[in-house]
Amino acid sequence: MAEFVAGISVVCFAASYAVALACEALRPALRSGVRGIAMLGFAAAGLLAHTLFLVWRAATEPSIPLSSPFDWYLLAAWLLAAGSLWLTITQPRTPVGLFVLPVVLMLVGAAQLSSRQPFPQSPATQIWGAIHGMFNLAASVAVLLGAVAGGMWLIQAGRLARKRAPVQGFRMPSLERLAHVTSRTPGIAAWTAAAGFVSGIVLNAVNRQRGLLETVPWNDPVVVRMAAVVVWLVTADALVHAARRRAEGPRAAAWLALASAAVLSASMLWGVFGATRHGMPPPASPAAASSGPATAGHEDSP
Amino acid sequence: MTLALVGGTHRTVPLDLRERLAFSAEQTADALARFRDRFPGREGVLLSTCNRVELYAAGAPDAPAPDAADIVAFLAECRGLDATQLEPVLSRERDEAVVRHLFAVAAGLDSMVLGEPQILAQVKQAWTLAQENRTAGPVTGGMFQGALRAAKRVATETGLGRQRVSIPSVAVADFASGVFERFDDKRVLLIGAGKMAAETLRYLREAGARDVTIVNRTAGRAVELAARLGARPGRFDRLAAELVTADLVVSTTGASDPVVTLDLFAAVETRREGRPLVVLDLAVPRDFDPRIGTRSGVWLYSVDDLAAACDANRRSRQREMPAALAIVDEETRRFMGDLHHRSTAPVIERLRAGWSETGDAELERLFRRLPHLADADRDEIRQAFDRYAAKLLHPPLVSLRDESRSGSPHGLLDALKRLFDLDD
Repeated sequence: MAEFVAGISVVCFAASYAVALACEALRPALRSGVRGIAMLGFAAAGLLAHTLFLVWRAATEPSIPLSSPFDWYLLAAWLLAAGSLWLTITQPRTPVGLFVLPVVLMLVGAAQLSSRQPFPQSPATQIWGAIHGMFNLAASVAVLLGAVAGGMWLIQAGRLARKRAPVQGFRMPSLERLAHVTSRTPGIAAWTAAAGFVSGIVLNAVNRQRGLLETVPWNDPVVVRMAAVVVWLVTADALVHAARRRAEGPRAAAWLALASAAVLSASMLWGVFGATRHGMPPPASPAAASSGPATAGHEDSP
Repeated sequence: MTLALVGGTHRTVPLDLRERLAFSAEQTADALARFRDRFPGREGVLLSTCNRVELYAAGAPDAPAPDAADIVAFLAECRGLDATQLEPVLSRERDEAVVRHLFAVAAGLDSMVLGEPQILAQVKQAWTLAQENRTAGPVTGGMFQGALRAAKRVATETGLGRQRVSIPSVAVADFASGVFERFDDKRVLLIGAGKMAAETLRYLREAGARDVTIVNRTAGRAVELAARLGARPGRFDRLAAELVTADLVVSTTGASDPVVTLDLFAAVETRREGRPLVVLDLAVPRDFDPRIGTRSGVWLYSVDDLAAACDANRRSRQREMPAALAIVDEETRRFMGDLHHRSTAPVIERLRAGWSETGDAELERLFRRLPHLADADRDEIRQAFDRYAAKLLHPPLVSLRDESRSGSPHGLLDALKRLFDLDD
């Protein structure tokens, strides 16, 4: 059994999600029950493999479980994949997977490009590191869910404005339900992102004060872009709140949700490809430094 | 086995004659009792709806299904009509065409509204009535079971019945439900007392609408309609106030000018605090100024908009026809194969019986010659004989089954009868 679980790779569940997405895309053309069962089967198989993969990594990694950028992206993907599967089961007529699974696959792709090295942590700052990671994870998932709902709102509103009957096998959720999501996710995203940012500052300050691990300079790109993301999300939430009692409110919320996802994606890309001191190991001693080349760091969580 | 069908539908029988030909449940039971007396040993199922009257009959080789002329005369007699009136308008089918027709009918392919699902319940009811009146049998039983299976497959494997085609159902299911998730917390306002208002309200009620207000220029009419539909009567002079609180408006007045002008709506709009408003303007001429539909948060649909959606849905149903017909064909072939195979049962029985008789006689002779054999040995020998007979019989039975798929295997049956000297 252990051998089987150890043999599960990212490709296994990514391929399952991709096949499930293809089945979902065939929904308007192929209305056979077999398509739905195949879609559910591949999505469930992907989620199972994904879960086993994360459990295996958590159990076998010598450091704190799931504390690398790679794991962080896979956790975010897992949350969205699980939500997608649950919605597909509870609302089989809605093509949720068509909107959520591409995001899941993008997160898996980002994970593949990210470092698998765990963030170095000391026992003294471990709890702050976990809080920082969890809040950032919650913020990112909230932003991505909001964007999915926002995209669906715009498609549904476009269909209703053109006065077209829904395409067979492609029934979208109501505007009311989608607006409910797009109006709430900005608040959740803004406050969890702010909490993630603040906990990151505390973590950095503790490290700096105690001289424990490598501290991140306050002008490090990751600090700047995280601050920018938080400022954007708080602004977006304020705008959504201001438009709440206006007829244009739901449309504005939908566009702002998509814009937030674009800002987050840009931040993630910067994280994947940009240089930073965030998450780097403690400075090596002069003797160690002379024995090996210094490497540029990658940071991956937003 | 023979099958016969005589019947008429909205396409072939004029409405006045269809009304006189139609059978109520009691009349159907009475007709089936007569059928039993008139055609003993035959099976019969009578399907009578507002759009069709069809009598399905089945018979065995020794008592074949009645002729079409006899069935026409029977139907005329049951309804007190002149058979010569029915002759030219009733259609007749035999054998496989009967099965194909019933399967298509059950799947809604022969209905006035293509793919409508009510016909399936009516087919089931006709079958139940025949069972209760003891005119159903194994052949019609298999045929009606097959019809239900074909209808179920058409419903699940094609999109034939999924798209709505009536204006009120499209208005509620395809448009209002696209805006609102639920209706039990929404305020519905009916303006006017047009015919389509009640029908639309029925769909809204099914979707959960509870809070319904009716306003009409004639207050008495609003009160009367509200009492009939379980709604609250409102005052027409308070229309603006009602529009402020409404979430969904169904308008069906007979007014020649717009009842809700752009100016009136602009005054209302600011007090609505951005809540979305769905307007189903089912009046001709329109009750709402069409420019209202361009305002943010307003989803305005006129009769023409909804009719266009209905037409699109109808075309969509039509596009499903080839797939639905393919299922009907497949199920028909399957049923006919089973039916033909079933018709070979008597010959197979005689063949088995003949072989078994010969085998038993040979065994008895053998056991008399070998009296020292123990019971266990005798059983072993008996089983070996049975296995031998079964293996020899297997190829001809498989050939019969395969031949049954493409029709009644008369040639093979005759050959078997002659080869093994099987009497009819």
